[in-house]
Amino acid sequence: MSGVRIAAGQDAQVWVHDGPRLLADLDHGPGLAVHRRRSAERRPWPASGAQLAELLEAIDLRGRGGAAFPLSRKVRTALKSRGRPIVVVNAAEGEPASSKDSALMMVKPHLVLDGAQLVALGIGSDTIHVVVPGERPAVQKAVRAALAERADADRVPMTLHVAECRFVAGESSAVLELLAGRPNLPVTTSRPSAISGLGGRPTVLSNAETYAQAAVLARDGVDTYCSLGTHAEPGTRLLTIDGDGERPTVLEVPHGTRLAPLLAAADADADSGLLLGGYHGTWLPPEAVVDLTVSATAMLDAGAAIGAGVMLPLRAGTCPVRRTAVVVGYLAGESANRCGPCKFGLPALAHALRDLAIGAVRSSERVVQLMDAVERRGACHHPDGTTRSIRSLLRAFPLEVDAHLSGSCLAAATVAVPAGAW
Amino acid sequence: MVSAKPARQQLAVDWQSCDGHGLCAEILPELIHLDEWHFPVVERAVPRNLERLARAAVVACPKLALKINKT
Repeated sequence: MSGVRIAAGQDAQVWVHDGPRLLADLDHGPGLAVHRRRSAERRPWPASGAQLAELLEAIDLRGRGGAAFPLSRKVRTALKSRGRPIVVVNAAEGEPASSKDSALMMVKPHLVLDGAQLVALGIGSDTIHVVVPGERPAVQKAVRAALAERADADRVPMTLHVAECRFVAGESSAVLELLAGRPNLPVTTSRPSAISGLGGRPTVLSNAETYAQAAVLARDGVDTYCSLGTHAEPGTRLLTIDGDGERPTVLEVPHGTRLAPLLAAADADADSGLLLGGYHGTWLPPEAVVDLTVSATAMLDAGAAIGAGVMLPLRAGTCPVRRTAVVVGYLAGESANRCGPCKFGLPALAHALRDLAIGAVRSSERVVQLMDAVERRGACHHPDGTTRSIRSLLRAFPLEVDAHLSGSCLAAATVAVPAGAW
Repeated sequence: MVSAKPARQQLAVDWQSCDGHGLCAEILPELIHLDEWHFPVVERAVPRNLERLARAAVVACPKLALKINKT
């Protein structure tokens, strides 16, 4: 499979495979001229915001940052709310295990920026903010270059912002705080940003991939867009597959594609399970992965959420209990330390889970008690995402958990987490 | 003591403002207790007979972190 190797990861090279749309023709490079030649035949974009919303609804385009909120609804809400709308492209990607937005911004930045222009023009916005991750300098450089290339041609001015280097920096309320000149941390919001966001103006904020999908829709039209994927979930989706360090991979696949062969193509396997959806994701046991397809509904049926498309497979011989303890330790350190239950509860939870993993306790009671104590008690969903991975661990791996509670481990290799592992 | 009529008010905590002073739990122990770090655990729906006390708890918060939302 052809592709490119780029510095899109937080501290790793990432393999980006050629894909059917967003990641097509990677060998042509990220430049504006070649991009314009390819999209020269672009169809006229709908004149009105209402038509834009209809088109987005026709392909059921949902946010690709994890929350899966329909973009058409954000557009409609912004249109009927008071004030001139603002568009925000969120490529902050604070999760170290995810690289798909960073990769997209490096290999096909103009697709994302076209999409942002199209949405901004549709809703009558005069401002586009583009937010890139602080801990990935190569992405900042690529987007800066892309913006400079097209500055004269764009009808809506675009401004680049660099998020802080932390997990929660890409959370939507944290992004709006950054844009408002305040610390880049999540806050309690009383109203959706599409009604009242930045400076009280209606703000359409979505993930970088979402805008690229909108640009593809504009270029190809609804029928062609729907020629890939399934009837219920048309089009494609970006995934990040990271199977313990050797070869973190970003790829684009049509909805409905079987996951297992994709893992193999990324030099990974899920013989010990799969943490689906990233660090805030859901553990699936190996048998649940065999026939799994890339589909939000299929994954919901399996008890998981596709989130931002991060797949963290666990190789044979590695232990999901220990791995979760490591991930939760990291997540506890990534609390913004603003909300009490998160600030105090997550470190306590990480400690309790570590005790379980090293066989120091005989019951998971304390872990469960602490999960109950932190859930739904914060400005953002960082505590909820953290407990999601632990609750799914207890559900998917009861035998493995029991082994740890009796001081042993079922995994063949009980060595520490390998170097370079997620 | 819960009144029969459905609640028309909901308590909400603004978590990034709350410092865990705990006055709310002193005033309204019927609906609020403190967790092991002294942050409030809140029964959201306010029965009508507790609306006055709920208002007193909101007013007492030194960080203005407790709110009442009308349903």
